Amino acid sequence: MRFGAWAPVLTLLATGAGSPAAPPERAPVRDFPDGYPDGRAFYFTRAVYSDAREWRRGSWSTDYPEADVHFVMGLERLTGVDAFEHEHPLPLDDPDLRRFPFLYAVEVGAMALTPAEVAGLRGYLLAGGFLFVDDFWGSYEWANFEAQMRLVLPEHPITELAMDHPLLRTFYTIDEVLQVPNVWQGIRGGPTWERDGYVPHLRGIFDERGRLMVLINWNSDAGDAWEHADNPYYPLHFGNYAYRLGVNAVLYGMSR
Amino acid sequence: MGERLFELLFKYRPVAFERGELVLTPPWPLAAVLALGGLVLAASLAAYLRPRQPLGRRERLGLAALRAGTIGVLVFCLAGPALRVATVVPQQNFLGILLDDSRSMRIADQDGRSRGAVAAEAFAPEGPLLQALGKRFKLRLFRFSETLGRLDSAGALGWAGRRTDLAGALAAAQRELAAVPLAGLVVVTDGADNARGSLAEPLLSLAAERVPVHVVAVGGPVLSPDVELGRASAPRAVVRGTSVAVELSLKAAGLGGREVPLTVEDGERLLATTTVRLPRDGEPTTVRAHFVADEAGPRRLRFSIPTQPGELTPENNAVEAVLLVERRRERILYFEGEPRFEVKFLRRAITGDENLHVVVLQRTAEDKFLRLDVEDSTELAAGFPRTRAELFRYRGIVLGSVEASFFTHDQHQMLADFVSVRGGGLLALGGRLAFGEGGWAETPLADALPIVLEPPPAGDTTPFFTQVPVELTPAGRDHPVTQLRADPAASAARWDSLPPLSLINPVRDAKPGATVLLTGRGAGGSYVVLATQRYGRGRAVAFPVQDSWIWQMHADIPLEDQAHEALWRQLLRFLVSEVPEPVAAQVSADRIEPGRPVTISAEVSDSGYMRLNGADVRATVVDPAGGERQVPLRWTVRRDGEYEGTFVPTAAGLHEIRIEARQGDALLGTASAYVEAGDVGAEFFDAGVQEATLHRVADETGGRYYTPATIRTLPEDVSFTESGATVVEHRDLWDMPILLVLLLGFLSVEWAWRRRRGLA
Repeated sequence: MRFGAWAPVLTLLATGAGSPAAPPERAPVRDFPDGYPDGRAFYFTRAVYSDAREWRRGSWSTDYPEADVHFVMGLERLTGVDAFEHEHPLPLDDPDLRRFPFLYAVEVGAMALTPAEVAGLRGYLLAGGFLFVDDFWGSYEWANFEAQMRLVLPEHPITELAMDHPLLRTFYTIDEVLQVPNVWQGIRGGPTWERDGYVPHLRGIFDERGRLMVLINWNSDAGDAWEHADNPYYPLHFGNYAYRLGVNAVLYGMSR
Repeated sequence: MGERLFELLFKYRPVAFERGELVLTPPWPLAAVLALGGLVLAASLAAYLRPRQPLGRRERLGLAALRAGTIGVLVFCLAGPALRVATVVPQQNFLGILLDDSRSMRIADQDGRSRGAVAAEAFAPEGPLLQALGKRFKLRLFRFSETLGRLDSAGALGWAGRRTDLAGALAAAQRELAAVPLAGLVVVTDGADNARGSLAEPLLSLAAERVPVHVVAVGGPVLSPDVELGRASAPRAVVRGTSVAVELSLKAAGLGGREVPLTVEDGERLLATTTVRLPRDGEPTTVRAHFVADEAGPRRLRFSIPTQPGELTPENNAVEAVLLVERRRERILYFEGEPRFEVKFLRRAITGDENLHVVVLQRTAEDKFLRLDVEDSTELAAGFPRTRAELFRYRGIVLGSVEASFFTHDQHQMLADFVSVRGGGLLALGGRLAFGEGGWAETPLADALPIVLEPPPAGDTTPFFTQVPVELTPAGRDHPVTQLRADPAASAARWDSLPPLSLINPVRDAKPGATVLLTGRGAGGSYVVLATQRYGRGRAVAFPVQDSWIWQMHADIPLEDQAHEALWRQLLRFLVSEVPEPVAAQVSADRIEPGRPVTISAEVSDSGYMRLNGADVRATVVDPAGGERQVPLRWTVRRDGEYEGTFVPTAAGLHEIRIEARQGDALLGTASAYVEAGDVGAEFFDAGVQEATLHRVADETGGRYYTPATIRTLPEDVSFTESGATVVEHRDLWDMPILLVLLLGFLSVEWAWRRRRGLA
């Protein structure tokens, strides 16, 4: 609850002192001539949400769609998951979201959910969906994200993920939390942090039975590592770690 | 009416002709009588050969025949016809009268009077019947129900017997009267025999001794108006939390079409109420009562329908059963061949369920497995079990999306044996590597599954996919697996509102012996969604959908909805219900009257479920007061591994039977069963007069069948007997009115004919 006291103020600042949040741009989905490809066991679904920034495509689309497609390729190669090969973005207030129980969200530092998105995400998580949050940095963004989560799951606190948590053993064994830098800092050789996010954290929101509903990869950018893992100048160990964490998150989200 | 007319024409009642023998006692030598008759006949016929008037051939023959008939009757009379019949010597013989003293005689279906009252009045000490019998016989009165006992008079009957043992009563009466000249037995009963004793032996013995048994059947064949709940067919034991469907036979008379509530009670607790429609007369039907067995221990269940206005036997509106609700944790192995959300949501569906323990082995990558909820670090450490003992530890197996080629030949056989030999439950789920798509069509398991497996069409690489709204079949409406709500109607309505699931295995046909519970109509026709069948000792279930979790996650499903949880909890319980342990116990009846024998049987196997014949098997019977007694069980020889023993509960109440089987010093296993001793009310079930049984008793012993309306002739009929001290009488027949009628008839017709032709 370190950030709890400042959360409302920071949220207000982040969302432009009450100004309406920018609606998410319609997700650019590939055109499938034969209709929506159904029947796969896993769809790497990216959360499309409203934010307070005025980026052309919205914060949600950071590293999209390359990070998604690269990760799915890796996931299929490393595991037996029957995954849909393409990107798959869906708005949080889309009723269809509930058909895809694994969700990935990035750059949540400026997230500004509408009431419909709050309701959609809350229902999704309480019904059994799993959210992997990635790529947001520093205390300012944390405070905003935490405030947004207070709207979604006010009764469930955010806690640090213990290093013996099953997610860190589900497929790969992860013994330490690495700070994965963005591609430019990774190629330059440092620093690995952004803003005041010096220390990486894996945090979580758990349901009443102790099952992880939300995995929060704060002060770290797994998405960039997935996207640029094939860049020979990007340090290999960051890519390895990011894939291990992503694979574990997917397999945990599919089994617990 | 017919019998009276017979007696008027033939002088004696039919029974005299039945029991007697026709003899001729002519006053002169028979040859002389015949010769005289022949001469008269020849002279008469000769007269017709030379008639005064010309007659046609047909007329001559007709008149000659009439004359011959007249002479024939006269010759018959002159031959001295008589009946030779054996009759009792008055007061030299005994007659046993057996009066039914069971509770079914209280039924008031005799114009408002009870059967017992009608019988008591008919056989009252000062009544005409007993007086008439008393003139001929020395009477011995008995009462009978469970046993036979002497009776001073019919007025002493109380009709309190809880059971009718007709066979036992006949045998006991024959023994009781073995030392005296016995002219016969008279049994006064409704024939509602519920002791299940064989009548063949006592009837053969009575027939061999020429002791006729005369039956007086009291009561109507059909009780109306009446509702009767018959035998309850309930599982012997279930795991706590199981949705139980108990089948009950239901009969009704005079109330057909009426809707009545059927309630299920566990002691003072009301478990469920459902509405059933009473069947039409003579059309017994089966109804189902659904409830959730939520309290552990032996449960005494009572199923009942309220008494209907004017009903004759309200006692048969309720039936009871004993159900053992076990608190055990059922271990089920879920093997999933690929990461799928089905694993997650199945586990979530049973979270917090103390009675289901699903161990997950999930292949996450080539040769890499994730184990969840294992007991210790060694469980499934080497992957899917490779030995029978390792596999047979589980009571159920859920097989997910995994290709047949993953398993060795031995493992395939083990999976089939898991169902057929071990008696386990196997559930096969849909998936891209399941069923025909996974190459399972030619495996031993294909025989066990309730669906017809077909390999995908050769050369067709387009994956099959369709979405199907699920529909309950008629069997599914009443099946415990598909009860999503306590009320079957509400449950059916919930099924109608569930979102569609996706199929990637086109399973269209179930096997002939399978029960299909759910179907779905999608692209290309109708598909099997949930089906089950028995296979050997076990049970196999096919659920060829790949995303039942949609019923948890779909946006149309409220968060508080429990349909997905209920389905999986019931499905897994059904899967492992009735799965035997190495030692399994059974009793011949779960409810019985005190004093009746109970057969305990046990099936004994080793850990590999191979049946053992040389085991030391003992039962400890704990009576309601806590007293214990040992009952050794012996191998029956009829079947491998089957042992039996018998005990007789003497006290009313719940008896616990603990069975322990050993081989040498090694404990093979233990098992429990329960028997409730008490009033089972058997007298009020099938309480209509059992006419067929009673006719058989009379027919096979040479007796006669009476009702209170025809009992008047009993004293005379009983007199005709060859049993006891008898004399042979000759009763003249020459003066039978029928002979006079014939004689006058022949003469009158002949005279009229002759007169018309001018011959007279």
